[in-house]
Amino acid sequence: MKSPSDPLLEAIAVAIRQVLRDTGREARPVEPGMSLAADLGLDSLDLAQTIVLLERVLGSDPFRAAAAGPERVPVRTVADLAAAYRRPAAAGNSPTEI
Amino acid sequence: MNTQVSPIPLADAAAEDRLAVAITDVARQSPDRVAIVAGAGGEASRSIDYATLAAAIVKLEAALDSVRPLGVVARAKRVESLVAIAAACGRQHVPVAFLAEDARDLVGELRDWVTVDDALVVPVDPTAARREFEAVATQVVVATSGTSGPPKLVEHSWDSLLAAARLAEQWHGLGWILVYDATRWAGMQVWLQALLTGGRLIVPASRDPDVVLRSIVDEQAAVLPATPTLLRRLFSAGDRGLLARAKVERITLGGEAADGPLLEQARAAFPGAKVTQVYATTELGEVFRVADGLPGFPANWLGRSLPGGARLGMRRDGELLVQLSRDTAEVATGDLVERRGGRYEFTGRRSDVIVVGGAKVFPRRVEDLLRSVPGIADVRVYGMPSAITGELVAAEVVLTDPLPADGTPESVRAAALAACRAGLEPHGVPRILDFVKKIATNPAGKVPRRAS
Repeated sequence: MKSPSDPLLEAIAVAIRQVLRDTGREARPVEPGMSLAADLGLDSLDLAQTIVLLERVLGSDPFRAAAAGPERVPVRTVADLAAAYRRPAAAGNSPTEI
Repeated sequence: MNTQVSPIPLADAAAEDRLAVAITDVARQSPDRVAIVAGAGGEASRSIDYATLAAAIVKLEAALDSVRPLGVVARAKRVESLVAIAAACGRQHVPVAFLAEDARDLVGELRDWVTVDDALVVPVDPTAARREFEAVATQVVVATSGTSGPPKLVEHSWDSLLAAARLAEQWHGLGWILVYDATRWAGMQVWLQALLTGGRLIVPASRDPDVVLRSIVDEQAAVLPATPTLLRRLFSAGDRGLLARAKVERITLGGEAADGPLLEQARAAFPGAKVTQVYATTELGEVFRVADGLPGFPANWLGRSLPGGARLGMRRDGELLVQLSRDTAEVATGDLVERRGGRYEFTGRRSDVIVVGGAKVFPRRVEDLLRSVPGIADVRVYGMPSAITGELVAAEVVLTDPLPADGTPESVRAAALAACRAGLEPHGVPRILDFVKKIATNPAGKVPRRAS
């Protein structure tokens, strides 16, 4: 999962770099273990943009279903974000399982 | 060219009779005079003269008189049919409803009314209730545009439907372009105005900018009523050569607020044309007109009685209030205004406001800023749903063709976002910026503000 050639992680990295560029910040390497807030400096608006960009590439937005559930999904790192996309929709997007 | 007709005797006619009286009178004076040019600027345009229109009205009136339906739902595609139905129903005191495509479901509210389409036949049902001719004026039912909320039916008297029509002689015999949907309030105002004054109603084959411009050129239109969005499209996407040959005398803007740069563009593209902004809603009808070519309206209009009797007020949050007359209640318009110097300018519809993580963004402000970026021809800013922040600001951008020297789509994108970062709060900066070939408009000719 943490291999650099992982297509999902690559898509996430591309999206995050675009968010950084669009907001006038320097695009930098994105690693799975990085904290979205502390290491990459993403705020909730940046994350919201990342998720829309990813929905366009991956065709799904796991947070739309999760937001309707009883609990918010904790997404702190790049790997957390990838995990949210990895769970198959058929398994139910209940946030408690994450 | 049509010759001038002598004044049409409308002053003595009751409001509900006026359309039929005007058309019949012009038909008597000059039967071949063109009333409607349909499909203008396209492959197969056709002209309908006043005599043909008058004959259709007389025939339909006879049918209405024998059937006496409770009401008529006008479900015709051709403008000339809509005109005939309106005129005949008016003079026969039969209530009539005009339902635009997106309001068709509301027909259930008009139970037991009969439907009349382009065949102009009044269906006969011997068991149906009859409505005998009554002296009281009948109503006209129109659906709201649904720009902000689902369409709903609004009842008008013929007096209020015709209240804004200009009948003075200077308005006679002009060519009017109909870019609005003929079944909506704004569109009805155009065909009523044209045909009450012996004018020509020019209906372009489509809303394509070149088709509209060709209609203006070919049919020598004098008046162009349009939304700012439709006018802007003529400038951004219309053929330069056609634009240079299109000579209109008047532009009447309505439906949305016009910004300063657009008004300047209009003056440059149509030198000598009078540009009037009309503030009207389907519910209230026309409230006021501004003819000084500046955006918004003079600040000292607030709290004063305007020509026509309306009084403007403002809620604390900036929403414009309208009181049509002393006897009527004050109505909240949903339009937000802001004081800028000696003017109140429109900042947008209350329902257009995009809420990003609890903070409000006025899409028009973002659009005005984006439009000032070199390389951007047209733009739409709207709210995109987000599970994280509620909504995100999203923009669709049409690039100029050609792009400015050394410009690339990516450089325009970077410049646009930089301009927004410099001029807007962080939550107002578009997070999604897409290049599109053209900006979609809704059936009312306005820009939709929500993701579709």
